[in-house]
Amino acid sequence: MSPITAYLLYALFALGGAAVYLAMPRTREAPARIAGLILGLGAIVGGLILLGTRLMPASSVNPGFYIFAAIALFAAARVVTHPKPVYSAVYFVLVIVAVAALVLLEGAEFLAIALIIVYAGAILVTYAFVIMLAQQARLSLYDTRAREPLAGVVIGFAAMAAVAACTTDTSALPQIAAQPAASIVIQADVGNTLAVGRSLMTHYVVALELAGVLLLVGLVGAVALVTRKVPRDGTAEPPAPIGRIGKEVQPF
Amino acid sequence: MPGLPAHYVVLGAALFALGLVGFLTRRNLIVMFLSTEVMFQGVVVNLVAFGRLHGHLDGQMFALFLLVVAAVEAGLALGLVILLYRRKSSLDSEAWATMSG
Amino acid sequence: MTMDIATLKTCGILILLLPLAGTLIVGALGRPVLRGRSHWPVILGVAGAVLCSFIVFGQALGTSKQAVVDVYDWIATGDAGGWFRINFLIDPLTCIMLVTVTSVSLLVIIYSRDYMRDHGHPERGYERFFAYLGLFVFSMCALVLAGNFLLLYLGWEAVGLCSYLLIGFYYGRPSAAAAAKKAFLVNRIGDFGFGLGILLIYLTFNTLDYQAVFKMVEHGRTASGAALTEGRSAAIALLLFCGAVGKSAQLPLHVWLPDAMEGPSPVSALIHAATMVTAGVYMVARCGVIFTQSATVMAVVAAVGALTALYAALIALTQHDMKRVLAYSTISQLGYMFLGLGVYAAGSAIFHLFTHAFFKALLFLGAGSVMHAMGGVIDMRQFGGLRRILPWTYRTFVIGSLALAGFPLLSGFWSKDEIIHHAMAQSPLLGGMGLLTAVLTAFYTFRMVYRAFHGAERVPQGVHAHESGKWMLVPLCILAVGALGAGYANVTPHAGGFLGFLEPGGALGGFLAPALKPFAAHAEHVGGGGHVLMVLSGLLAIAGIAGAWWFHVKRRDWPARVAEAAPTAYNLSYNKFYMDEIYDVGVVRPLKSGGKLAFGIDDYFIDGLIWLVTIVPRLLGFALRGLQGGSLQGYAATMGAGLLIILLLVLLL
Repeated sequence: MSPITAYLLYALFALGGAAVYLAMPRTREAPARIAGLILGLGAIVGGLILLGTRLMPASSVNPGFYIFAAIALFAAARVVTHPKPVYSAVYFVLVIVAVAALVLLEGAEFLAIALIIVYAGAILVTYAFVIMLAQQARLSLYDTRAREPLAGVVIGFAAMAAVAACTTDTSALPQIAAQPAASIVIQADVGNTLAVGRSLMTHYVVALELAGVLLLVGLVGAVALVTRKVPRDGTAEPPAPIGRIGKEVQPF
Repeated sequence: MPGLPAHYVVLGAALFALGLVGFLTRRNLIVMFLSTEVMFQGVVVNLVAFGRLHGHLDGQMFALFLLVVAAVEAGLALGLVILLYRRKSSLDSEAWATMSG
Repeated sequence: MTMDIATLKTCGILILLLPLAGTLIVGALGRPVLRGRSHWPVILGVAGAVLCSFIVFGQALGTSKQAVVDVYDWIATGDAGGWFRINFLIDPLTCIMLVTVTSVSLLVIIYSRDYMRDHGHPERGYERFFAYLGLFVFSMCALVLAGNFLLLYLGWEAVGLCSYLLIGFYYGRPSAAAAAKKAFLVNRIGDFGFGLGILLIYLTFNTLDYQAVFKMVEHGRTASGAALTEGRSAAIALLLFCGAVGKSAQLPLHVWLPDAMEGPSPVSALIHAATMVTAGVYMVARCGVIFTQSATVMAVVAAVGALTALYAALIALTQHDMKRVLAYSTISQLGYMFLGLGVYAAGSAIFHLFTHAFFKALLFLGAGSVMHAMGGVIDMRQFGGLRRILPWTYRTFVIGSLALAGFPLLSGFWSKDEIIHHAMAQSPLLGGMGLLTAVLTAFYTFRMVYRAFHGAERVPQGVHAHESGKWMLVPLCILAVGALGAGYANVTPHAGGFLGFLEPGGALGGFLAPALKPFAAHAEHVGGGGHVLMVLSGLLAIAGIAGAWWFHVKRRDWPARVAEAAPTAYNLSYNKFYMDEIYDVGVVRPLKSGGKLAFGIDDYFIDGLIWLVTIVPRLLGFALRGLQGGSLQGYAATMGAGLLIILLLVLLL
């Protein structure tokens, strides 16, 4: 890819990084946060435009991709930078919906619906319950401060830029041949759900059973965890003195 | 590379990176776990794209099982968060910065 | 009659080992078992050594040769077949020394049995004392018997060690500990030169064996066959002489001997009068071949001896401590011996050594008897008129003093007179100094006698003075007999009546002559005038005694008036010519500053380097400590950063 494209790409990622950094929670509602958000929006739009015009042959990209990509990115940024956890959870739902749409565009209908049902329906509800149980009424210190935002942003965005650079610069990568593998090939006339169901029951039946066992284990584990008696810090008994195992101290 | 869905890969990378940033910077335990979930989403996008590239359903199957694992993990993680909260009455991850070697 | 090598070997080994065995027995069993009987092993050991010495002496009487007895091949040198051996060189000189050393040692040890007791009860450290004495006898005999320079050096150092141990016997007393250190350190200075001399001998002659070295020196050749220059032999001689100056307390290394009086009186008698300090004289006599190669060296030896003799006599005039007077007297008499050696009268010097051992030991033991009776006080100002309280001590002390002063017909007279005679023949200046010293010697010796034993009876407060027991008196009497009669060993019964009887150069001289050939070769012919000088020195001695009588019996206040009249002279004499102060300013203080400098360098520079080395891990730790913050997110961030770096590396490189 031409140097100009590369520089533009890196510039946009840098911009995005700056935007996220600015948008990180601060002690008081600073104009920096809003500036960050606007910048972020700009970066996303710019990136998508760049993607569409310079990096990809325009015909292969579905226009819906741009919309849902923008929504997904913005919502993910808000998940990460919003001070209130409830808002983070809600923005996460938005991420889920956007990702489901994107996946749907690639023809994975079952996965899309499964995403919405499992994530938005089950996992997010669990999160919401936990937030209700554990979250203080007002914003506490740990919500309003980010720890080492600069380091985090740099690491994340540099990694992102690296990946983007290699996937769009085809000359730097070794050639990988597309392998039609032994598993089910997408057939145009069979619905996605049917295909997925068939492959689950035939090729991936062992994995299916294991997934069931995993779910059982998780269930039992969660119940066992939460019924533990955990003493509040400060009211716990003092730790037992070092003594002779067997006489004063129980081994394990 | 013929047919590499670069746009999906970049998007997946972007989502993953955003989730990573959130995991590293936020102090609230719940938001930390939400960020990991965002990372999962990035992975899902990636998987589906590559599945489409190769022309079979492996990507989607992987993503489905990933979904299962994510669900289990979320349940257990939140249980632990509850326990941690009971211990210290706070969701601050810095309160548990006791793992100095 | 030749000497029987086997007998000599056995006797030599026994002379060494019997006292050593005594020491070891007392050392091991003294405290637990023997306690008050600790003197027996050492007395028996040394008595055995005395016996063997006399046997050796008897063997050497008839012959004029020297015997070398190889005992043990000790250290192999690099050269093929070269060995440092333990061997004995037994010749008349050795025999005289052995007899003197062992006999006087035995008498002193017998004396110590009573001296080291407090009202019959053994003092603290009684066993240690006898162990050290036995060790000393062993060391001194090793020195005397040695057949090579290495063994000589070993004995030399060992007697220095014993001197240190015995001077500092009362180690609880700070002054005693300091005196012991002083003795050892000053000796060290001399021994340094001595060691260098021995090294130079080895470098020049490639051997340390007496016979080999002396033969090479006689022929004037070094080991490589080159000619032996006078400069080289003079250098060796002077370096060896350094050791003699240190060990025999000559100027300027004499400062340790007066302080060495901190040790018990038997120690002073044995080590610092009769035996150890004479080691230097013995060594110079033994190495006569080397010394006589250069007239300059001999002149140096004579000059040092004469100067020391006069200097010490001047100081002894004003001292109040009886043992100090005797110490300076010893220094002075040793000066005489070196003077004798320097004017090629080696026989006379050794003869003087022989007689001096007896009367000086007698005097010291007598002073010890006084000290014992006076409860540890030896300052003459604190007591007086002891002649009725301590009769036997007084009588033997007077005999010793007469001998020291050179009273006619006593031993000191014969020996000292010979030296003055030879000195006068060599150089009138030296002879004059010798005569002046003789007068002073007589004066200060009898000053001591009159002050301590004559006049009004005075004892220190609370002291019950009584005469010493027979263990102390018998050795005194034996030594007194020696002091009276030892002089006759060197007098030849001449046909010619009384005058012939007074002819010098008698039996002892004849006995020693083979051993002292190098000196005889260069000796000036001492012609007539010997009789005149003899009469003159006798008169001077009597004059000195009379002067002392006048000043300290008849007109007791005159010494104080003289001191007031000539304060400078008195102060110079009383303060030892400020020798110790000169040493302090010139040597001790610079050394201390040097030590502080070295200490500073060690503290700051070297420790600073070490500190630099330790700084590196500490800095590293400080830098790396931040990596482990304890929070999970921190670790995750580190992991992410690492991954990022690897990613970038792979992509960019």
